[in-house]
Amino acid sequence: MKKGLIKATSGYERFVHWLMAISCLLLCLTGLGMMYQSLNFFGAIMGGLKGLKLVHNYTGLVFGISLVLAVLMWWKEAGIFVFPEDIDWIMTAGGYLWHVDKVPEVGKYNPGQKMFFLTVAFFGVIMLITGFFMWFTAYFPLGIELLRWTYPLHVLGFLIIFAFFFVHLYLGTIGSPGSVSAMISGWVTRAWLKKQHPKWLKEMEHQGTLIVSDGEK
Amino acid sequence: MAEKIKLYDASKCTACRGCQLACKQWNGLKAGQTVPTGTYQNPPSLQPNTYMIIHYQDYVDPNGDVKWLFRKEACMHCTNAACVTVCPSGALYYNKDFKTVGMDREKCIGCKECVAACPFEIPRYDSKTEKVYKCDMCESRITNGLDPACVKACPTGALKWGDKEAIMSAAAKRKQDLGVVASTYGDKFVGGTHFMYILKEQPDVYDGIKKNPKVPLSVTLWKSWLKPLSLLAAGGVIGGSFLHYVLHGPKRPDPEEVIQDEKTQGGK
Repeated sequence: MKKGLIKATSGYERFVHWLMAISCLLLCLTGLGMMYQSLNFFGAIMGGLKGLKLVHNYTGLVFGISLVLAVLMWWKEAGIFVFPEDIDWIMTAGGYLWHVDKVPEVGKYNPGQKMFFLTVAFFGVIMLITGFFMWFTAYFPLGIELLRWTYPLHVLGFLIIFAFFFVHLYLGTIGSPGSVSAMISGWVTRAWLKKQHPKWLKEMEHQGTLIVSDGEK
Repeated sequence: MAEKIKLYDASKCTACRGCQLACKQWNGLKAGQTVPTGTYQNPPSLQPNTYMIIHYQDYVDPNGDVKWLFRKEACMHCTNAACVTVCPSGALYYNKDFKTVGMDREKCIGCKECVAACPFEIPRYDSKTEKVYKCDMCESRITNGLDPACVKACPTGALKWGDKEAIMSAAAKRKQDLGVVASTYGDKFVGGTHFMYILKEQPDVYDGIKKNPKVPLSVTLWKSWLKPLSLLAAGGVIGGSFLHYVLHGPKRPDPEEVIQDEKTQGGK
């Protein structure tokens, strides 16, 4: 490992992130395989569409577990907006959309990341609840008229999470070079941190919690 | 071949349940154990192994006369069928010739989406086989030029299977003959059903009948709006990201900071 890299994420954070990412993607793919008959062939490697449905159902449980872990881990850092600096950041759209001379400094998570976290957390819960009753319709207590609404709600959740996922994918990779290593090795460059999360860098330096690689290994 | 309709004329029905038995026989369906509840109606409702039942109802009309009303309940074979719209596997489909709603049980994955979508609440899920069951208008018979088993068995002519136009006009005429309170049921809903009733009373007199069945709004919202919108939204985001990359450019660390980093790392 190079010298001077800074530790941005713990192994546990990366584990929870990838548990959620992989289960969520598998849910999106198997869900698409059921939503579009032209995509029924996704089930071919799962023993047919019935197998695909089972994979979808049980992957939902894994996603549920990862969602609980993620919310417990991140809600304090990514679930709460800080005023007024988060508003200032939103007013400049983080400098992503138009030229901004001075983007307000952000901490560990910028408001865009917080929105993504809150969206996934909120709609993730919706997906778990509606998904559970779509799986076990007999346990739905409120009658068939309302049971029917679990289906469009489930698709609404998919629409929002799936679209937001591509924003996340873009900004976590080529849209913001240097980001992806935060979720691979956990180490990022100081230059990246200074650009993306300057306030967090200062906080860690101030609190003495900054972990810098010494170039050994 | 032409679109066909099955007609149930309640005024000719004696509730002998020959149709119910013929249905079981042709479809190879077993009977379940039930307990007497003081009615001939048995089983009490549709089941995975009971595609149709005859309803028995004591009805006191506005004149104080007691009437014994019968009604055959089964899949209505909608022209615009919510079950076909929601079925993810293509197990439920429209018969090409007759426009009835057939079912390929091999393809059924037991997701129960049709059970929730059906405005008539007809399909039944069997947790043992993990599949859904409903009347398919005896697909194996009608495609071979035979009448559905229930029609074949009916001894009074209360059940008929025929071309849509002929059945519709026969139904209208019969309703006229029966007088003012008689009604037809099915032709006005979900684009017209391929199973329709002539009833001796107005439909809302009958227990368990759906007063105004239509494709649920939730199904339309789900399949006609949110489903295409979900791909459109994802496509829009991908396109938007591409435009962002080529027009605005990615958010890179400042060059001077990168040079500083490289010095720390010992050159290169």
